[in-house]
Amino acid sequence: MIEISGVSKTFPARGKDAPVLALKDVDLRIEDGEFLTILGPSGCGKTTLLRMIAGLAEWDKGEITVNGTPVRGPGPDRAMVFQAFALMPWATVRDNTAFGLELRGVPKAQRRERADELLTLVGLKGFENRLPGQLSGGMQQRVGLARALAVDPEILLMDEPFGALDEQTRRLLQEELLLIWEKTRKTVIFITHSMEEAVLLGDRVALMSPRPGRILNITQVPLPRPRAAAVDQIEGSAEFAKITANLWGQLREMQTIRVHAGEEPAA
Amino acid sequence: MSVAAAKIEAPYKAGFFTRERLDSFLPPFIGLAVGAILWQVIATIWNQEFFPPITDVIRRLGELTEQGKILSNLVTSLTNLAIGFSFSVIVGVTLGMLMGAFRKVEMALDVYVYAMLTSPSLVFAPIFFAIFGLKNIQYTILGLIILYSIWIIVVNTAAAIRTVPIALIEMGRSYCATERQLFFKIILPASMPMVFAGIRLGMGRAVKGMINGEMFIIAVGLGGVAKAEGQRFNADGVLAVLLVIIIVAMVMQKLVQLLDARVTSWLPSTARQGKRRANAD
Repeated sequence: MIEISGVSKTFPARGKDAPVLALKDVDLRIEDGEFLTILGPSGCGKTTLLRMIAGLAEWDKGEITVNGTPVRGPGPDRAMVFQAFALMPWATVRDNTAFGLELRGVPKAQRRERADELLTLVGLKGFENRLPGQLSGGMQQRVGLARALAVDPEILLMDEPFGALDEQTRRLLQEELLLIWEKTRKTVIFITHSMEEAVLLGDRVALMSPRPGRILNITQVPLPRPRAAAVDQIEGSAEFAKITANLWGQLREMQTIRVHAGEEPAA
Repeated sequence: MSVAAAKIEAPYKAGFFTRERLDSFLPPFIGLAVGAILWQVIATIWNQEFFPPITDVIRRLGELTEQGKILSNLVTSLTNLAIGFSFSVIVGVTLGMLMGAFRKVEMALDVYVYAMLTSPSLVFAPIFFAIFGLKNIQYTILGLIILYSIWIIVVNTAAAIRTVPIALIEMGRSYCATERQLFFKIILPASMPMVFAGIRLGMGRAVKGMINGEMFIIAVGLGGVAKAEGQRFNADGVLAVLLVIIIVAMVMQKLVQLLDARVTSWLPSTARQGKRRANAD
């Protein structure tokens, strides 16, 4: 279980820019095995929040605990999937996948076996010896996912993992992520700016608003699981349409207030 | 089916002169041939003492070789080059990495490195000569080779370390890499293309430093031969030595290139070409 309580973060003033309150009193609880999506416009601090959970960023106030232990840095219980893939261009697909294991000193034969297993899971069997530069964006992110799964983390932190992909690839990967998640049932925190993606994947959708970044509300997604085989039905359902429309309404409000009145949206 | 397939493939497999080989050999070969012919024609028509035809230069090169002036001096020069340049690479890359990794080291040394990079290193030759004297002439040459080549290697290496993508470093951290692992498994391999760009530029400069030292300070090695020929107004002799120097430089350059291609084989071919163009110093 991940517990975030009262986390605030201010980016200090830079030159002429005033200090920015990036996150304000964020409270969030993620249960074991839950798929939580965090939705928000750009600049709402959602990636910052995820990086804090990953132990890659610091905060000023509040506390983040994973299974009761305060987060003080990255840990083997968490693995991250990055928006820009962050693959090592000099290493083969297999070596990239096994990277986390290599860092932990897992013997070569063993990590190779584990990497191949996961590459099969993400549909990259036969590409083990390719270099990332020889793969499409979608395939590169499959490697990113396989690398995260290879270390068998309890928690998967996904930072807009499909944000850099084209629509078709994105849809395919959403389905496959659901399939994999339904098999492995890891705790997932998934950042996105697409409400369809947030609703399709998540058990709950945490909506964030910018300036200062905070959790506006949390929407339960009552769509049945498993969803992987029924993506089209789900997306065509009235329930799905209702939830996404509601989220879009709120997101639009955040944007229009700023454009038309130049005011901060009410909390 | 297999017979037909074999027939189609056959012309591409036959012999040494495959299409690809010809495509990569022919343009530079034609370029050299045209250059040599132009040289010969212009020099013959113009008929100037200081611009002898290429045939005269090659004849003189043969004479000098027969007199034993080329080979022994070539060995002297190459030995100095190898020692001096190895020093430049090892110390230059190490220093560059320290500067790239530690902001304070960079702030402290930046001004010296750039001063040395832009100052004409030949001015240090008399100082070296005064220090080492006639007895240790080799040290003066080594000093010049190092001064000519090391700074560009330092600057490039420091820049290489600084420009390692932050995303990769974050990735390493998120997978609990230690500082040591970050360096050896991410920063080092990621910086290799630019480090090698610096080494290649350094190689060209090392050759220049060696020849300058040999010609203008202490007449030894190939530069010494060129100087002696020059003093006798033997233009064909000077050009003959120059020819050898150019060949040496090109062979060295090619060696570095081969090593580079091995170490950074993961670079996409377009990036490699871009790099090559950027390296044309």
